[in-house]
Amino acid sequence: MIGYALKELENRKRKYILNIMVIGLVVVLLITLSSLGVAFKEASRLPFENIHSSIIVQRNGNVPENTSGAVTPCSLAPIKGDYISQINKIDGVKGISYGLFLWVFDKDNFKRTLGVNWSDDRGKIIGSELIEGSLPQSDTDALVERDYAQQHGLKLGQKMKVSGTEFTITGIVETSGKDVVSSDVYVNLNSAQTLAYNSKNLQDTEKFNKNDINIIFVDADQTKVKEATDNLKALFSPPTSNGGKTPTGQTTGAYSIYTPESFESQISSLFMMSDRLILTVSLVALIGAILIVIKSMSHTLMERRKEFGIMKAVGFRSKDIQSEVAVETLLQAIIGYGLGIVLSFAAIFALAKTTVSIAIPWEMSPYPHFLTSNPNLIAPVQTYPFPIKFEAMYSAEVLVAVFVLSLLTVLVLTRYINGLNAMEVLRYE
Amino acid sequence: MNEIIVARNLSKTLGNVKAINAVSLDVKKGDFLAIQGSSGSGKTTLLSLLSGLDRADAGEIKFDGEDITSMSEDKLALFRRKNVGIVFQSYNLIPTLNVLENIALPLFPDSRNKKEMLERAKMAAEMVWLSKRLNHYPSELSGGEQQRVGLARAIINDPKVIFADEPTGNLDTETGRMIMDLLKKLNKVKGITVVMVTHDDGMAKEADRLIKIKDGVLTNE
Repeated sequence: MIGYALKELENRKRKYILNIMVIGLVVVLLITLSSLGVAFKEASRLPFENIHSSIIVQRNGNVPENTSGAVTPCSLAPIKGDYISQINKIDGVKGISYGLFLWVFDKDNFKRTLGVNWSDDRGKIIGSELIEGSLPQSDTDALVERDYAQQHGLKLGQKMKVSGTEFTITGIVETSGKDVVSSDVYVNLNSAQTLAYNSKNLQDTEKFNKNDINIIFVDADQTKVKEATDNLKALFSPPTSNGGKTPTGQTTGAYSIYTPESFESQISSLFMMSDRLILTVSLVALIGAILIVIKSMSHTLMERRKEFGIMKAVGFRSKDIQSEVAVETLLQAIIGYGLGIVLSFAAIFALAKTTVSIAIPWEMSPYPHFLTSNPNLIAPVQTYPFPIKFEAMYSAEVLVAVFVLSLLTVLVLTRYINGLNAMEVLRYE
Repeated sequence: MNEIIVARNLSKTLGNVKAINAVSLDVKKGDFLAIQGSSGSGKTTLLSLLSGLDRADAGEIKFDGEDITSMSEDKLALFRRKNVGIVFQSYNLIPTLNVLENIALPLFPDSRNKKEMLERAKMAAEMVWLSKRLNHYPSELSGGEQQRVGLARAIINDPKVIFADEPTGNLDTETGRMIMDLLKKLNKVKGITVVMVTHDDGMAKEADRLIKIKDGVLTNE
């Protein structure tokens, strides 16, 4: 049977090549689209993975009355430093990094300033981006982001003022586009806390204690992220809300606890749309393929009416011919599937060479809306290698789909074969 | 029992035409029977009923004592495979198979040993002098060669009866003669019963026994 089927495929290759191509294309579409869907989801998690953190804690606060001196953005209101020791006790928490992110409105310019604890994971990551100079050795030292330094003509060893306090530039870092919480100036956490504590504008907006911070990165055990998140939510609940809302709609005083999942759902509305599109295209492709293959096979069988009539005349039963057609259909499916797998590999390999750009939500990387000279800063974009890969699971699922396609084709053709009368065929052919 | 085929009161209507009308016929084992009639006389229809290719509307056919008129389609197919060889006027070869494969076609469904199957096909090909054309395709063969392939295909299952429908109808006289000689050889040497339909007087006279058919009715014997 297989020998006969192979011979049939070889002799009518022009006919069957259409089926094989259609099956191959459907396999490519299904595998590539499924991989794209998962890759988009993976991509939406990349910014989180990039900061080596499982959970981010922020607090929503009030909008400053005016733009002068150091203030905290409304999405990064002060959090009491005492929480650090309590978070450390939560089951599943492996480590904590924290910092103080400030908007500093100086007379000559605006600068985002991050107070960093250089010994924690976040501090080490920022330190690893140093491209020139050294880390701050004292509370009057600062690192400057490369783009900001170029824009303002700042060089190593130069003095710069941040909210009235003079700092010496000891190093240049390149963090723009690489980090969720990208800043212009990096100083010791203690220095940033002093700036914040001494800022009348900030104290008028939010009560700030000397050891307060406003962003916490929690590194949790991968298997306990959910429990740790729930415990954090319990720790930071109920919110000390005054009933107000931030400009982005968050409840003032409430804490925001971001996880990879919440981050994904926050930034992946476009990807969710892609999911629906992928599902629709996959279904249309599959149904289209079934119709094309059935039509093509039916046409071929019509052409082979006489052949089947001869087969019946010499003693083939209907089920013998059905088996023959089933083997032929299956062979086409296998060849088409193999072709599709090879092409899918090629397509995914090519896609993996591309990059994906992800806009970070304003709440997580805030920039004053009224400073719109660089709109990209309001929604900072991070670029990553596109995390698409060939998954064996998809190829197995698609194999099932191709098998179903073959089965449907054979079922439709079986009715035709059963109704074939040898004598009638031979009489009229 | 000496009869291989016993047909009683066979009738068959095709469209509005009564192609076979109450035909009764006995064929003895080892017979070479010719059924002669003009075009449209019902001779091919009668052959298709006797060979189990088609079903009669009425009547009964016993083949070697077994009633084939009540068999299911699948049983009838198996019956043809085991007992019957059919030679068609238009050869009816499968164009995508070569000579050897066309001859072996009836063995395809139940042959598990491909080598043995091809050996049997080669022996059948040898009997019809086609040993040198085994790898050729039907389109590369003359009419006589194609009919010899058809004949080899008909004998590969060692049938009890060969039904030949105008086997020389599409051939020139000399080639027709060769096919006729082969049929006679199979009948005499191997003892296979042959039922042949023809409109040709010369060919009909070659048979041991001749019956004539007109308008679906046997007219004489």
